[in-house]
Amino acid sequence: MKPAETATAIAGVSAGAPHRTASAGADRQNAGQRAAGWAAGAVILVGLSVVPAFARNGYTLSVFTQAALYAAMAAGWDVLSGYTGRENFGYALFVGTGAYTAALLDARLHLPLPAGIAAAGGASVLAAALAGVPALRLRGPYFALATLAAAGIMERFTLILWPVTGGEDGIYEITPLSLSGTVTYEATLVFMAVVVLGLYTATRSPWGMVLRAIRASETACEASGLNTTTYKIGALLLSALTAGVAGGLYAHVQEHVGPAVYSVEFSVTVIIMAFVGGVGTIWGAAAGGFLLTLLGESLRSLGPYRLLLYSAILLPVIIASPRGIVAPVLDWLKERQR
Amino acid sequence: MADVLVLGAVNSAVYAMLALGFTLIFGVGRVVNLAHGTFYAIGVYVAYTLVAVTRLPLLAGAAAAVLAAAAVGIGLERLLIQPVRRWTFAVLIATVVFALLTQEIIYAFYGYTSRNIPSFTTQTLSILGVTVAGQRAITFAVAVLAIAVVWILIYRTRFGSAVLAVAQDREAAVYLGIDADGVSRTVMALSAGLAAAAGVLVAPVLVVSPQMWTLPLVKSFAIVILGGLGSIPGSLAASVLLAYTETAVSRFAGSAFSDLVPLVVILFTLLLRPSGLLGQTVEP
Repeated sequence: MKPAETATAIAGVSAGAPHRTASAGADRQNAGQRAAGWAAGAVILVGLSVVPAFARNGYTLSVFTQAALYAAMAAGWDVLSGYTGRENFGYALFVGTGAYTAALLDARLHLPLPAGIAAAGGASVLAAALAGVPALRLRGPYFALATLAAAGIMERFTLILWPVTGGEDGIYEITPLSLSGTVTYEATLVFMAVVVLGLYTATRSPWGMVLRAIRASETACEASGLNTTTYKIGALLLSALTAGVAGGLYAHVQEHVGPAVYSVEFSVTVIIMAFVGGVGTIWGAAAGGFLLTLLGESLRSLGPYRLLLYSAILLPVIIASPRGIVAPVLDWLKERQR
Repeated sequence: MADVLVLGAVNSAVYAMLALGFTLIFGVGRVVNLAHGTFYAIGVYVAYTLVAVTRLPLLAGAAAAVLAAAAVGIGLERLLIQPVRRWTFAVLIATVVFALLTQEIIYAFYGYTSRNIPSFTTQTLSILGVTVAGQRAITFAVAVLAIAVVWILIYRTRFGSAVLAVAQDREAAVYLGIDADGVSRTVMALSAGLAAAAGVLVAPVLVVSPQMWTLPLVKSFAIVILGGLGSIPGSLAASVLLAYTETAVSRFAGSAFSDLVPLVVILFTLLLRPSGLLGQTVEP
């Protein structure tokens, strides 16, 4: 069997799905569903692209800009963690490395902006190769703790290397992505669309099917002769590249970078977005990133009680639905269609 | 050198108190409790409120703080962890969100200004030619006593046998008539109480702020990973090792670098010897 066929079998059996019988009717129904999905995605994107026309002020637009960035980051987290079951609690390592690289190259060396953002992606991939690849041997909480520690070490280094990084204060005087809020927003929206579309296509490919099979049963994959390591490394580097470029954009959008981009809180923020939106779907994670950013910002009028209410809303959701929100809803929809 | 020796001993005892509860929780429920440092913070803030605001005697306030943390621990285990125990990832998320929620509740009441917690004593004494604050001596004595009590509880009592049985095989323990959920709750109460007690003891020499839960959490991670997750003797040995390394690094390279020690320990132990120093060789 080809890798993809093996993977399909493993992913299917472990998910407890009954063996699929190919019938013309089922195929037509699936094709219809897929077309509806693409149409919905296109409508949402067009809807988001006209937001600047309705935004009342620059603040609203900046919130949507952030939402697009977080959506891309959550999708980037999902491609590794949601698909292979390696929950990355140090995702901030990749975002932070990208953000600091872009910020340093811009504010200290005055390199052109596109070069800085490309370098941000590269630096993040390098960080993933150095710290992430060895950690991939670990599973479950062990992988989570190793990645968390790696990001924590970098957070400390931003303080220790304060003459270069600015210490607690971080780096200011970063060139804005664009002087126009609308252009900044549309650019991040395009970035988000490219990330979501790219990662979605990748995970729907035969390659992505192997990732899903790894999550279902890594032992079965290895027993079938699949080299799981190369697939996991591929997913990790893709995840890091997304995070690095997103981090670089984040630096130019915020016009400031501080140690917080390496913090556990940052990683956890992104993880919660992917978790609530739906792990292992890419678009679900992205939707979670977008909506939770908007929710978080809309609570801002509550001042000090904002984060309190935010986590108080999330906690019951997690307990009631430990698989996230999207997966149970999809199951329910499929059940109804039968 | 002597100051490193004495300070390291006090820190070892406090770290052991923190890590013991963390490792017990992992052993019994395979739960990585990201809210472990939160109990430490709860202990400190409850003690502060009772002693500095309501003017309760320090000893009574400290005891009440430990009990309060234990009660929160039982609530956390029953309401948040038990329903999602089967999903390791959901446990991580639920406990970290609980930790952030508690941080925000503390912040809403007290703000970010740091608080001063009174010491049990202001006297000092001299050990090995080093002047030691009486508070540190008391801390050491109480911590060693607490560890001894837990050791006896786990290895010499019927309850301890139940804990070890659940740790070895939860399902088999249930078939033998052991109330595994009850054991998990009691162990969580114990773990929370130990962490809160550690907090109350070291609070007078610490910066007390709503985010104070992260540092003890990272140190607990480092210790249990170095000692082998779930291994009690391993945790005790690793506590001593980490505390002395940190104290020495802080003394000779500065405190900016001593905070790096636990993180480096976590990363490199996991990458080089994932089962830890004394942990069983199981697939990580």
